[in-house]
Amino acid sequence: MRLKRKGGYNVPLAGRPAGEIRAPAETDTLWLPLASRRFSFTQLAVGNGETVKTGQVLATDPANFDVPLLAPRDGTVRLGAVKGHLVLENARRGPAETPPVHGDGDAKRRALVRLGAWHFFEDAHTGRLPDPFVAPRAVIVSTVRLEPFLARGDAQLTGRLDALARGLECLQSLLEYQPIYLVVPDVETELAETLHENLRGLAWLQIVTIPRRYPMDHFALVARGLGLKAGGDGAVWAVRTEGVLAVDCALSESRPVTERVISLGGPAVGQPVHLSLPVGYPLEKILLGAIVEGLPRVLTGGALTGEALDHAQKGLDAECAGLTVLAEPKRREHFGWLRPGWNRASYSRCYLSALHRPRPERLTTAMRGEKRACIACGQCETVCPARIMPHVIHKALYADAIDDAERLGVDLCVGCGLCSYVCPSKIELRQEFLDAQRKIHEERAHAEAAKAEEVKG
Amino acid sequence: MRLLEDIFDRLRPRFEQGPLSRARPLFDAINNFFLAPKSSAPCAPHVRDPIDLKRYMTMVILALVPTLAAGVYLFGLRVLAVVLVSYMVGGMIEVVIACIRKEEINEGFFVTGMIFPLVLPPGVPLWMVALGIVAGVIIGKEIFGGTGRNPFNAALVGRCILVLAYPSRLNAFIEPASGWPGRLATYHVDAISSATPLAAAKKGALEPIANLFWGNVSGSIGETSAAIILAGGVFLVLVGVVNWRTIVSVLGSFAALGLLLGGLFPSHFSGAVGWHLLAGGLLFGTVFMATDPVTSPMTNGGKVAYGILIGAIVLLIRNLTGYVEGVTFAILLGNIVAPTIDEVVVRRRVRRLAHER
Repeated sequence: MRLKRKGGYNVPLAGRPAGEIRAPAETDTLWLPLASRRFSFTQLAVGNGETVKTGQVLATDPANFDVPLLAPRDGTVRLGAVKGHLVLENARRGPAETPPVHGDGDAKRRALVRLGAWHFFEDAHTGRLPDPFVAPRAVIVSTVRLEPFLARGDAQLTGRLDALARGLECLQSLLEYQPIYLVVPDVETELAETLHENLRGLAWLQIVTIPRRYPMDHFALVARGLGLKAGGDGAVWAVRTEGVLAVDCALSESRPVTERVISLGGPAVGQPVHLSLPVGYPLEKILLGAIVEGLPRVLTGGALTGEALDHAQKGLDAECAGLTVLAEPKRREHFGWLRPGWNRASYSRCYLSALHRPRPERLTTAMRGEKRACIACGQCETVCPARIMPHVIHKALYADAIDDAERLGVDLCVGCGLCSYVCPSKIELRQEFLDAQRKIHEERAHAEAAKAEEVKG
Repeated sequence: MRLLEDIFDRLRPRFEQGPLSRARPLFDAINNFFLAPKSSAPCAPHVRDPIDLKRYMTMVILALVPTLAAGVYLFGLRVLAVVLVSYMVGGMIEVVIACIRKEEINEGFFVTGMIFPLVLPPGVPLWMVALGIVAGVIIGKEIFGGTGRNPFNAALVGRCILVLAYPSRLNAFIEPASGWPGRLATYHVDAISSATPLAAAKKGALEPIANLFWGNVSGSIGETSAAIILAGGVFLVLVGVVNWRTIVSVLGSFAALGLLLGGLFPSHFSGAVGWHLLAGGLLFGTVFMATDPVTSPMTNGGKVAYGILIGAIVLLIRNLTGYVEGVTFAILLGNIVAPTIDEVVVRRRVRRLAHER
């Protein structure tokens, strides 16, 4: 199946990580953050000074089906030493001893959660952790990752296609008749061809090709393209390459998943690479020596949707898929708006770069312009992959008409950030829309709670 | 160049506090004119496209410069004085109002200040230019909140007010120059009150179409040369600053309706549709004013409807009323209905969004 969709744009950002995966030297102290984007591991399972084995549960998140924070190495637990972190001292590699997984689907699902593979799943529409014990409508497996820069599927699949196939089979064994959609890019690469050859025969697997244009790999867009709309009957599970490999690791080998593959990229990184690291690996060690420009802004996630790294965070968290490093602007440019712009890549065609395909640029975090009122140029609308009209929604939100914004489809925004990227008036559209979504969500929850209260009363 | 940065950095504190803080928008505007602003992205996305409003408006100015040059060649150096007055008076108002409002000075004014003189007759008194730009900028734009929030094209509001207030002075045109160097070295030209091709056509005398195309006819400063205006339009479409749908639908509806009505009622409607397309302010208004993204509908479908409406109104005014020209009124009428058109189109789009939910 071939999915097509208008909009999207590949931001020409320099610093794309190379395809190989490196494993840096081991370290004897790991700082495991007790919170990440979705999880907060509040239920501690170990005490201060306790010696733990690799794969042992250190803490769980009661709000997210008790997904565990696993000990990535043997070592001694130190609690309260660093705020918000669990420190593992004298960390060293040890054998991960867990009994093989037997039994029915529920036992397998429990094993997925217990061995740390469920972390990698998300609900295609909401991005939240889905309930592992409720059967989904469908599963979307994506080997494509287009945001600059996050760990890519092709890097992780080199030489591991058999593991992917095994992982997919394990995943299928959890389902009854629900389809698995495998998302591959619509270009003919060696990898795509091998995938096609090896997996074509499987009746329960549908191969879906998508354009290699950011953010066509966004799960909500893929789900909508497949006709799996939000609010339908049952969740749509979504998982990427690393998730399927984790499923294989947990169910075929019954090993806990304690390593993460992340990308380290961006214009301010000397040698952009993929890294295979244990959770809790010191961020300082990852970044030290890798950054070539001073005053960097380190993001967890990509340049378009990532968040600036919290200075208090010392170790790699359990959900990170990549670190993107950008330089803050140092010098102000003279007459930037007047230059011909042969090498100034732009979504608009207002620079000479429109005459050729400019190379990836060493962009900084500069706004490159001043904030102005919207002039309805329509660039946000043409770049938007969600088929909404960001400038019209912006005007509704500017007038505080959140109901209008809802009617205009602000809930369909997937937060890819391209509208803010292309806006000549430098309006923070993405942030506005995410805030509005949160507000609508809160209001709904509030209304439902009030209703429930009424029924009770 | 480092020096410039230092100078601005040293001056900045004076404009942040104290009596000069009122002039902060002016300081910022000058500062950011020379140097890219200092700010960096406060939230995701952490990188941004180089396009900004300065660049965007620069594209429009670039497209307008050839028409201005043609105006100087045809009507003399006084044209430059007209533009200068428009820029100075209009700029002053923009600065004062921005300082009162404590908002940024918007680049949109550079376009308004350039378009406005180009739609005036070359012999227009300079005080009238000043009056027109004051009225246009304040009534057409500033009272609604400035560029981006204005329902009307400010230059057209200014012209409209002048046309209604001083009809005879706004119909005093100059015979165009010919040959090289034209009037590139002449400041003042006396030959007032030559009939424009449209006025002559009402009396039955058709100017050769080649003259309309190249522009050596009398008319407003920027509207005479169809070739140069079309070149500007093609440029703006290529750089993506104006939407081709508006241009095609205005001209298309004017031509189609003209052919239809000219065939049905030859006594009332001129059949010379091609001639009428090139004559008067139709091309200039279509390319540079109907396409103004702020005052035209926001949606593509809306732009088509808006264009059709404008083309039809121009045709009706030119053929059925006492006015020889109708572009100003047609576009302003289009501006009035643009929000309504948008509402209809947006509702249809929203219904289509149901497929995504």
